[in-house]
Amino acid sequence: MRLRASQLTKDFGHRSIVKNATLSVNPGEVVTIFGPNGAGKTTFIKILATLLKPTSGELEIEGTDAIEDYSDVRGMLGVVIHEMLAYPAFSPYENLKFFGQMYGVNQLEHRCRVLLTEVGLQRFAHEPLHIFSRGMTQRFMIARALLHHPSVLLFDEPFSGLDAAAKQFVLDRVAQEQQSGKGIVITTHNTELGYLVGTRFFFMINGELEAVAQKDEIAAETLLLMYEERLTF
Amino acid sequence: MKAFRQIGALIRKDLGLQFRSKETLVLIFVFSVLVVLIFAFAFGPIFPEKGERGKLAASVLWAAFVFAGIITLNRSFTAERSHGALHGIRLTGVDASNLYLSKVVSTVIFLFLLEIVITPIALQFLDLLDVVTVGILLKLFGVLGIGTLGFCAVGVLLAGMSTSTNGGESLLSVILLPIVIPIIMGGAKCTVSLLVTGELANGFWLNLLIGYSLVFFASAYLLAGAVIEE
Repeated sequence: MRLRASQLTKDFGHRSIVKNATLSVNPGEVVTIFGPNGAGKTTFIKILATLLKPTSGELEIEGTDAIEDYSDVRGMLGVVIHEMLAYPAFSPYENLKFFGQMYGVNQLEHRCRVLLTEVGLQRFAHEPLHIFSRGMTQRFMIARALLHHPSVLLFDEPFSGLDAAAKQFVLDRVAQEQQSGKGIVITTHNTELGYLVGTRFFFMINGELEAVAQKDEIAAETLLLMYEERLTF
Repeated sequence: MKAFRQIGALIRKDLGLQFRSKETLVLIFVFSVLVVLIFAFAFGPIFPEKGERGKLAASVLWAAFVFAGIITLNRSFTAERSHGALHGIRLTGVDASNLYLSKVVSTVIFLFLLEIVITPIALQFLDLLDVVTVGILLKLFGVLGIGTLGFCAVGVLLAGMSTSTNGGESLLSVILLPIVIPIIMGGAKCTVSLLVTGELANGFWLNLLIGYSLVFFASAYLLAGAVIEE
């Protein structure tokens, strides 16, 4: 199992943002979590990424306790969240090189060039990130997340603000990473794309995570109807 | 080896960011020169005798470097936090203490380079450059270097905390200055002694400067994990 979260809860003051969330991700599996804005998806992803400590619950990544031994598991994670997680004054190449040195990536310069070509940023490899559009930034963020060959990918709203071509790029890339055996968690409020990319589905509404179905058990229309029903409940 | 590689990469990155941001570089340099000029014009053009000039120069230098240091620390941590770059670094699994250590080293290097540029300018404006020998100047840079290390040891830790809050820039000045008073006192007294007598006459102030800097450096190194991860 790539990732196992059990009864994860996160409180801010007296308010519970994530409530007893339980989830597991196997190799080659794409878990899609649907939820509206403010449902707690970003907080949940940040807990899975070890960037936030849960108030209670357990989290294991590749069999290691990720709450106690967070330093040991972070190198196994590739994370894309709303923030760039990089330096806008640096170019994509400089950022990848810096983070690659931090991770200890072998043949780093070659890896940076290959990744930038794969995400279609080779022409902009030496331009500063702060001039990039949302779609270009997202491509860079995916390259950054894949840099060190992580076994678990955590994508928070990877489709938001992207045009059709960029969305297709994300879909293709996730499919490619899934085939290579990575465990992937994606949060989105886009049911169409979330269904396309996922193999197992969850809803997160008001901080509560609800297991819905495997992809082969549910049609896209049914999933959409269930989601809308939950939102209006 | 991994830790050394990470610390080296972090220091190179920090210095790269500091020197690439021309805006910050110019701001800090102009600010420091301005402090020197204000003092020089307020007390000049006819300066008192050498002893008084030495005291004046010490106050000018430390005032300029302390405020330049606060600007540098604020800018440095704003760059880390504004686009989640600090989260990006945390995700590489780097030890928080090593992250702290690299930040201290890069900030000390940056401020020390500023001091190397500003100190002769200040001495020239205060009519002291002719009477300061190379030996005194080297000792002076030694004192400034130790003081800068102590200042950054505390400052990096507090900047790490304050920049994550609203109004963090002003908060840093409020919480940092009272804590580094012993460093400023020790550094200023040592500087006066060097510029007036050419020697570090009273060992107490130098011991205070070194002792305080090292104690704070060690304490902050141990506390860095809690500050960065929490």
